Amino acid sequence: MPCERMPMRYGHSEGHTDVCFDDSGKFIVSCGSDGDVRIWESLDDDDSKSICVGEKAYSLALKNGKLVTAASNNTVQIHTFPDGDPDGILTRFTTNPTHVTFNSIGSRVAAGSSDFMVKVVEVSDSSQQKVFRGHDAPVLSVTFDPKDEFLASASCDGSVVVWNIEEQTQATSWPVLQKTNDVSNAKSLCRLAWQPGAGKLLAVPVDSKVHLYERGSWDHVSTLSDDLVTQPINAVAWSPSGQFLAAGGVGGFLTVWDVDSKLCVERQKQEKGYTVCGLAWHPSGNQIVYSDTQGSLGLLDGLSTSSSHPSTKATKAPASKVAKDYDDLFDDDDDRLMDEGLSDTNSPAKNPVAGDEDGDDDDVVPATGRVRNRGAFLDDENSLDTGSLKLGLDKYGDDDDAGSAIVAPAAPAVPLRPVYEGPMPTPPQKAFQSGSTPAHLTHRFMMWNSVGIVRGYNDEQDNAIDVEFHDSAVHHAMHLTNSLGHSMADVSQEAVLLACPSTDELASKLQCLHFSSWDTNKEWMVDLPKGEDVKALCLGQGWAAAATSAMMLRLFSIGGIQREIFSLPGPVVCMAGHGEQLLIVYHRATGFDGDQALGVQLLQLAQRKRQVIHGEPLPLSRKSYLSWLGFTAEGTPCYIDSEGVVRMLNRSLGNTWTPVCNTRESCKGKSDHYWVVGVHENPEQLRCIPCKGSRYPPTLPRPAVAILPFKLPLCQTTTEKGQMEEQFWRSVLFQNHYSFLSSSGYEVDDQAQSQAEKKQQELLMKMFALSCKLEREFRCVELAELMTQNAVTLAIRYASRSRRMALAQRLSEIALEKANQMNEEEFVEQEDSSIRRTSGYSQAEATGYHYNNRHHQEEEEEQREELEEEEGRDMETEDAAENRKRLNPFAKRGSSPEKPALKPISKEGRVNPFKVLGSGRSSASPGQPRVTNVLDSMTSVKKLAPLSGSAGKTNKSPPLKPLAPRPKAKTQSTLMQMTGSKTANKKAPQNVESAEDKMKQPEVPPTPSPVDNAENKRPKTGFQLWLEENRKSIVADQPDLEETDIIKEAMGRFRILSAEERLSWTERAKGQTVDAADLKKRKRAEGEGGAENENAHVEADESVAKKKKSLDPSSKLSAFAFNKN
Amino acid sequence: MPIVHNGAVTSCVFFAVSGNSYSAGTFISSTVGVPALTHSFCKQNNPAVQTMDPSEVEFLAEKEMVKIIPNFSLDKIYLIGGDLGPFNPGLPVDVPVWLALNLKQRQKCRIVPPEWMDVEKLEEIRELERKEDAFTPVPSPYYMELTKLLLNHASDNIPKADEIRTLVKDIWDTRIAKLRLSADSFISQQEAHAKLDNLTLMEINTTRTFLLDSLNCMYKLRSNLQPGSNKGKALDY
Repeated sequence: MPCERMPMRYGHSEGHTDVCFDDSGKFIVSCGSDGDVRIWESLDDDDSKSICVGEKAYSLALKNGKLVTAASNNTVQIHTFPDGDPDGILTRFTTNPTHVTFNSIGSRVAAGSSDFMVKVVEVSDSSQQKVFRGHDAPVLSVTFDPKDEFLASASCDGSVVVWNIEEQTQATSWPVLQKTNDVSNAKSLCRLAWQPGAGKLLAVPVDSKVHLYERGSWDHVSTLSDDLVTQPINAVAWSPSGQFLAAGGVGGFLTVWDVDSKLCVERQKQEKGYTVCGLAWHPSGNQIVYSDTQGSLGLLDGLSTSSSHPSTKATKAPASKVAKDYDDLFDDDDDRLMDEGLSDTNSPAKNPVAGDEDGDDDDVVPATGRVRNRGAFLDDENSLDTGSLKLGLDKYGDDDDAGSAIVAPAAPAVPLRPVYEGPMPTPPQKAFQSGSTPAHLTHRFMMWNSVGIVRGYNDEQDNAIDVEFHDSAVHHAMHLTNSLGHSMADVSQEAVLLACPSTDELASKLQCLHFSSWDTNKEWMVDLPKGEDVKALCLGQGWAAAATSAMMLRLFSIGGIQREIFSLPGPVVCMAGHGEQLLIVYHRATGFDGDQALGVQLLQLAQRKRQVIHGEPLPLSRKSYLSWLGFTAEGTPCYIDSEGVVRMLNRSLGNTWTPVCNTRESCKGKSDHYWVVGVHENPEQLRCIPCKGSRYPPTLPRPAVAILPFKLPLCQTTTEKGQMEEQFWRSVLFQNHYSFLSSSGYEVDDQAQSQAEKKQQELLMKMFALSCKLEREFRCVELAELMTQNAVTLAIRYASRSRRMALAQRLSEIALEKANQMNEEEFVEQEDSSIRRTSGYSQAEATGYHYNNRHHQEEEEEQREELEEEEGRDMETEDAAENRKRLNPFAKRGSSPEKPALKPISKEGRVNPFKVLGSGRSSASPGQPRVTNVLDSMTSVKKLAPLSGSAGKTNKSPPLKPLAPRPKAKTQSTLMQMTGSKTANKKAPQNVESAEDKMKQPEVPPTPSPVDNAENKRPKTGFQLWLEENRKSIVADQPDLEETDIIKEAMGRFRILSAEERLSWTERAKGQTVDAADLKKRKRAEGEGGAENENAHVEADESVAKKKKSLDPSSKLSAFAFNKN
Repeated sequence: MPIVHNGAVTSCVFFAVSGNSYSAGTFISSTVGVPALTHSFCKQNNPAVQTMDPSEVEFLAEKEMVKIIPNFSLDKIYLIGGDLGPFNPGLPVDVPVWLALNLKQRQKCRIVPPEWMDVEKLEEIRELERKEDAFTPVPSPYYMELTKLLLNHASDNIPKADEIRTLVKDIWDTRIAKLRLSADSFISQQEAHAKLDNLTLMEINTTRTFLLDSLNCMYKLRSNLQPGSNKGKALDY
């Protein structure tokens, strides 16, 4: 029974509707929640006649030129038809009537009401009323027996009652429905229908099935169902012949059964999947008119009911129908497919929720509403047009034909349509450019990023592209005619990249306007091979990338040279470039139940090309899709899904993604969104355009950018503790880019970084104080673990002042640990800083912080130490002394008598740019002229092996202008490292000698200083002594080791030594310092009046000795502490 | 008879004081740094320099903040009046009108019209203004000046500039008419004092010269009418 589904049209405003034909079938009459009854000559009638019957109209019935309506003013009114003149009030209820219906001859009207009553009224004389009481809840619907003996009614109390009209008694009752408290909450409107003619059967929609009851016996004789009807049926209607029964319901399906054969002869779907709530047959039986909860009307035409013979049909139907359905499902190119596919994803478990929410147009509704609307906005708003969705479904269809599990196994076995009730695949989202608005718009943004805006115009007069730069210093605005039909664009500081899909004649083209080129040719264009379309593109620094439909990624230099090409693991979704980084998101697999399965790749296209993220799954919110992909201005990958969650790569946590903001939380309305245009880490800004009632902004009026703050979704951010935790971790996260930038060779803003670190330490201190106040000492210790060593000292002071001695003691242990750790790290760090890439924040930066604050800290520490000594707490003093010794080998002591002698040395030391006195980083400032100097000192420092912490630091930040992120002179830094390590390697065995040689050359003023400084920095530790002795053996064992490896190896070996052995080395180390002190005294005695050079030399030695000596008192204690470990 | 202007620009009080009108009246202005005001007050004897110039009011209005979208990049700038910026291309930033206009003239920015400079909102205000007898609150104490400045210099950044111009002019006309009406009833009913709320500086300024001069004139005429009366004695109106 092939029929034609006419397109839906607008009938009423959103809400419940009802519809019927007039007696002749000439007019369609509908009513809706706008309170109007409209009379349509046909579905295409644009000039319908409206009759206002009240604020809302719930139901209508039409017979013999009388139009009866159930309106919200608690009355059942009559109007004349077709004139629409009011003809009096038929009856009243205490609340609104819910359903009205005529009997077969039109002499009586039955009305059900929310006040639990059913009334039967004579049309000619409204005083003749019969009231039927017995329902315990609002009446859903009523229907007359064609013979006028009975009346059936359904109610929210769950019962369907058949009344004897004359006796006004219940003939029978079936408790088959679900109970609810109100019509508006009922899952189904349960519009009953009595078979016309003899009235043999009563059809009752029960959930997703239709029960047929036999007249007289009131037995449940059969059930009509369809496997595809999984949601409640709202209304049933008999064809005038009584042979067919039509049903419509939630989810927008329409089904027609042949009652004799109980076979489904027709299935249709409301095109948008809105709930059908009104249904009527044309008197001729070849049309069905229906209306939905969105107020639209639809028509099924060409139902050839009269010509069909039930007997032949019964035999013929299954085969042909099934075939047709398959055709329908997989080949037929229309939207319905998609709707079906989508609504089919509703598993039966969800159905109960579905009914209430239906018709609610917001995408927050669960279950059906959600999926369906999702489909709707996917194709409406997000440039995922139906084409692509169809594509996806077609693909599934092909799979099915090929024999996949979904259909094929079931098909031969069951003659009826096979059903698959598991998770359904989600249509894969289409490729898009982040920062663009949908392609179907005539005026659209093709790209809005931090550099500029590309707008595309495509209307009758003009097909053009406007490029505008936020910073007019980059380039002036451009206006291009878009003769090629470019649909994708990206813009960077160097170029504008455009691409168009292929047409029948022309290949897909990639066009680049390289405006920053210094030659006169500012443009190049590339044709892609036939059949390959550009799907996504992006620009980086000096390169352009295009992902194509052949699942390939083509790299070009910005000047137009073809570079690398590689295959993508799946169809591309989006790409983004920043500097040397390329971020690709693609379809990893088929997603199910509304989820997308995306994968992400992050590539470094720098000199050393490598893949940072190897196609890992991209986390998205449930049932969302990717809506923006890009980098922060600082170069951290970042993306946003359709639920508005912004996620950022956390490089310090193994390249995981951390949600940093939910833009939907800042939205005022449910349908408001933020359209993101940029993410900045410093200052923390999410730049976006607020869009009222849409997902993207219009081009005019020109939208203004707003700024959203970031907020990590930590728990209990309303409390002070939660707030501080959130701030701390956010600050930590947003600071990651510093280590990334410096490791990948960019200049970083030291000041901002140290400020951020300071803020973090402050926050930690605050949290510490708070925990102290709350007597959470364990938590205090945990916080102290996060602190830098300097902050721990402050924490200790705080703890001891607030008389928490146990806590203070524990903290001092932590401080000690940290100091040790730092020392060890320094070895490692200095040696393999070139290898280190994306180390954790705590490690690298914390060390830097220590350097900066060393002096300050040491003073504090000293005070504390003295204080504690007075108090006579031995343990702590020992620990603290140990700390100080390890960390601050040349503490300035106010009490030290030799202090004045220090000065000249330190002055001399200033010549050396690598001397770390104040801050390790600032020492790296000297420019080119000192390069030789730098190299000199570097080698000598290296020769002295692992002593100096400064070498590593300076290695990391070679002298460069403090500019905005620009690649620094890598050649220089690598050169330096190479020289350093080579010389070190070469001369390692005789390092001490060579250093002494240098010292004996007074002509070169700076040379002594590196050595001295290196020694000044720190007395030799036990390990260093041990290393000096054992280096040869290590080198002999593994001659091919690099300097760094030697140190590592050595550390490994040193650790293996027993505690006693290590202790003895430590003691030796201390003994050495004492020796040095003795030496100094001797020298002093004889050294007066020597040559100037000599003097300098002596002084240098003196200083070493002095510093070391100053540490002597604590050395024993430190040994004790060491032993304790 | 001077006008008392309390700096919040919410009310304007007329005083018709007996005796020496010059010393009895006070002129309070909370708007700082306006030499012209004090100057004019001191020289009230001379009608020519007595009042504020509209351009001076405009000058004050130029201190109002307005959002611009710069197309250049600049760090924070430190001015006596406060710090401005930093300027990031494409990112809205608040600057005083004088700077906004200057940048606009050099094509260094786009101006984002203030929120109230919107056809719908202004229509509402106009309707309200027409309906009410008293003065209704205006969206900005410098609505007239800002409209003029922004529309003259940056009309390309303001959607529906012409409509806005007309609407603001309508509002202005309505208010000035009200002001004249109240001045008229003030004089005709021979009131000694009147208070008007929600007036803006520019509106006060337009009526000041005329009102003061005419009150002065009337005072002279009336004292001449009663030659015997003492200057220090209260007048009978």
